[in-house]
Amino acid sequence: MPAVQDTVERVKEIDVDQYKYGFVTDIESVTAPKGLNEDIVRFISAKKDEPEWLLEWRLEAFKRWLTMQEPEWANVQYPKIDFQDLYYYSAPKSTEGPKSLDDVDPDLLETYKKLGIPLREQEVLAGVQGAPKVAVDAVFDSVSVVTTFKEELAKAGVIFCSISEAVKNHPEMVKRYLGSVVPSTDNFYATLNSAVFSDGSFVYVPEGVRCPMELSTYFRINAEQTGQFERTLIIADKGAYVSYLEGCTAPMRDENQLHAAVVELVALEDAEIKYSTVQNWYPGNKDGKGGIFNFVTKRGDCRGDRSKISWTQVETGSAITWKYPSCILRGDGSRGEFYSIAISNGYQQIDSGTKMIHLGKNTSSRIISKGIAAGHSNNTYRGLVSAHRRASNARNFSVCDSLLIGDKCGAHTVPYLEAKNASATFEHEATTSKISDDQLFYCLSRGLSEEEAVALIVNGFVRDVLQHLPMEFMAETQKLISISLEGSVG
Amino acid sequence: MNLSVQQFRTKAEQELLDLYTKAEKTLPGAGNPFVADLREKALATYARLGLPHRRIEAWKYTDLRAHLEDVYPLATPRGAAIGANELEAALGKAIADFSAYRLVIVEGELRDDLSDISALKDAGAVIVSLAEALESPPEWLKQTLSKAGPREDDAVFALNTALMTGGVILRLPKGLTLDKPIHLIHLDGTGDPATMVTRNVIMAEEGASATVLESYGGLGMTGLQRNAVTEIEIGDKAAIHHIKFQREAVETTHLGIWLATIGADARYDAFQVSTGALLGRNQIYVGFDGEGSSTDVSGACLMRGRQHSDTTLVVEHRVPSCVSRELFKVVLDDHARGIFQGKVIVAPDAQKTDGKQMANALLLSETAEFDSKPELEIFADDVVCGHGATSGQMDEDLLFYLESRGLPEAEARAMLIQAFVGETFECVDNEALREAFAGVSADWLGVQVE
Repeated sequence: MPAVQDTVERVKEIDVDQYKYGFVTDIESVTAPKGLNEDIVRFISAKKDEPEWLLEWRLEAFKRWLTMQEPEWANVQYPKIDFQDLYYYSAPKSTEGPKSLDDVDPDLLETYKKLGIPLREQEVLAGVQGAPKVAVDAVFDSVSVVTTFKEELAKAGVIFCSISEAVKNHPEMVKRYLGSVVPSTDNFYATLNSAVFSDGSFVYVPEGVRCPMELSTYFRINAEQTGQFERTLIIADKGAYVSYLEGCTAPMRDENQLHAAVVELVALEDAEIKYSTVQNWYPGNKDGKGGIFNFVTKRGDCRGDRSKISWTQVETGSAITWKYPSCILRGDGSRGEFYSIAISNGYQQIDSGTKMIHLGKNTSSRIISKGIAAGHSNNTYRGLVSAHRRASNARNFSVCDSLLIGDKCGAHTVPYLEAKNASATFEHEATTSKISDDQLFYCLSRGLSEEEAVALIVNGFVRDVLQHLPMEFMAETQKLISISLEGSVG
Repeated sequence: MNLSVQQFRTKAEQELLDLYTKAEKTLPGAGNPFVADLREKALATYARLGLPHRRIEAWKYTDLRAHLEDVYPLATPRGAAIGANELEAALGKAIADFSAYRLVIVEGELRDDLSDISALKDAGAVIVSLAEALESPPEWLKQTLSKAGPREDDAVFALNTALMTGGVILRLPKGLTLDKPIHLIHLDGTGDPATMVTRNVIMAEEGASATVLESYGGLGMTGLQRNAVTEIEIGDKAAIHHIKFQREAVETTHLGIWLATIGADARYDAFQVSTGALLGRNQIYVGFDGEGSSTDVSGACLMRGRQHSDTTLVVEHRVPSCVSRELFKVVLDDHARGIFQGKVIVAPDAQKTDGKQMANALLLSETAEFDSKPELEIFADDVVCGHGATSGQMDEDLLFYLESRGLPEAEARAMLIQAFVGETFECVDNEALREAFAGVSADWLGVQVE
């Protein structure tokens, strides 16, 4: 029970309007002029000193993007985005990569401190035998500023760096895999990202290597009105294993910010990738003003036989979330997993889910999605499970549960099942309910307050998914859940 | 979004417009300003929407625009001779012999000579053919025909309104309980390919109850495009059991819509069995307008060859304290394709809603395909809603068990398939119909039933 008590205390401390991570660090930024045209794409590419082929790739994506229409099928409403009224590039001024943490702009370190990123602590931790190690590639707005643990990873042969560095140091690898899972023509936002992506993480785990530590990126959006276009590429070679953590917070402000990231995962034979996200971007204030627009394309390709990709996500932030981490189960016997907790409160809108595309034989997938809607929010699960002709013995099991707190919110479930193979076995189940009066009454009769009781029940509701989060995230997530639901009862 | 704006018209889309232009003056009710206006508006709706295609979310898996290449002319009644033999050939013995008040609609026209109209009138029902009713529609019918709802954004519904020629208007007065079910028999004809557009309206006043069977069969017409709409209005405390059996020829395009509104403390049970048509789409819209009511919408479809069967269902809980149940079973062989889309909407004030939905598919061949989209759209918090969907092949363990008991494989398979679809037949209240449907599934499987 101490964890619950802790969350309840935190809830008391925090008012809806006092978003914990809402602050703006004042650092001089080098910013490209507002708007988007070919010159901006060239500017970004030049700023990052990119080779000709990448510039060509970006320009092609940009040309394609001009012909595309914004998708409107998702169950979300928002004012039209003026893509010419955004900044597409912003980098902290000190662009010469600091050699150590001491060289990093102290303001920046202060920001991280407020965020609770234990950069310094981790240096200490690294010396402790047997302690869990987490490598952090901190992204401050658009450029990776500091990367720790590089050496230890290098010893194992793991490449963990920013995409820009990877383009310089491992161009053949980037060229081979970039856009191979999410093609630059994939969808409106992925194409936009391909044209203007600023930076992101690159991970390569060589054959047979089990990555010695959990890799992690914390990033936040900082400069006002800057869309953040992250690009993440993770490749696990034959028999490799990697667990990747992504957590994010963003400062509070009024103007909606666009975030259109692309994440590509490639798992070759017998490889396994575990990708975990805790997303806590600014959701807007209690009247639904402000907040981040999160339009993300995440896709994993189980390219090799017996490979496995597992997505775990906790979505508590953003005004609008539009996100479908998917698995293409191409290799025979490959496996895809999707565990999700999506919590919406206030005026948040979430349209999220997954796609499991079974192409290979004996592929299996599992979907556990828990949606919690409170306040005036709308929470939609939208998922596709499909088995193609060749995918004999494909198996899927899906559970999508929704919990409604309050009578002004909405919970929606839109699953698509497409079986083109008779031996494919699909099972899908979904329920929607409110917190049962019996459960609540029982907790109250045991002396818990209503808020404590709700926190307890909700944490129980999402337990199936919490268990799949790495240890580091579990405690943080429990706190997030109770903070996100603050003010939803009574 | 400009998806609904037509860039160009396909041949079939234009031909459907031409059908109307050609028939405008001779369609029933042409002289009545209300009806003429209703048809004009519906045609405008269709002209705006065009035929549904896969970019329209509700038609994602059934691309009607691509399927429909030519449009057949509107059916002209020729007074085909129909006896017991024809009926049995068209519907099968059990359904043809079903003891009920018969209303027979052939070639898009209600046939007085084959229908038990006077007997129904004697029993207390108010009945009139659609054609007659449209000449001067009573006030209640006007209201029903111009209600808001899917007729405004469903191109198939709009086409039906624009072109409807045959059908029955049936009204069950307050408290009437019929001693026998009503059997609405829809047959094609024997001549050249034709389009048949029928509309039935059934209105049950307070406390009335009836069982209505709609059957669709073929007399051997060489091609049929059918658009059949039935509207059901169920008053407070009334109960309607509504059953559909469709075994039209395998060249047929069958577009069926049921639109039901339910009053307070009332009950609507809908059940559909399909084995026919090349492309069949059954849309069922059920809306609760009064508290304390319940509905059970279920069905089975058995498809083979290159048949395509789509069941699309929308249940709208607009008021509190209603219960809805859905159970659909789909058996698919050869290259058949089955689709189930079910949507349960719970409005913000519809507290204490209880909704459950289940769709199961059994794929008998490697090349069959099942697509399913069970949707929940919930805006109230005090609800219990759930859905499930499964798809798979026959359980080898069950098969092995039966074979180990000495059953030949084919028989064991048939038994398991019958058990699979048989679960839905339990939803049918009428015992004779339950048995008839068991016979239908046995026929389809080609096995003898004792």
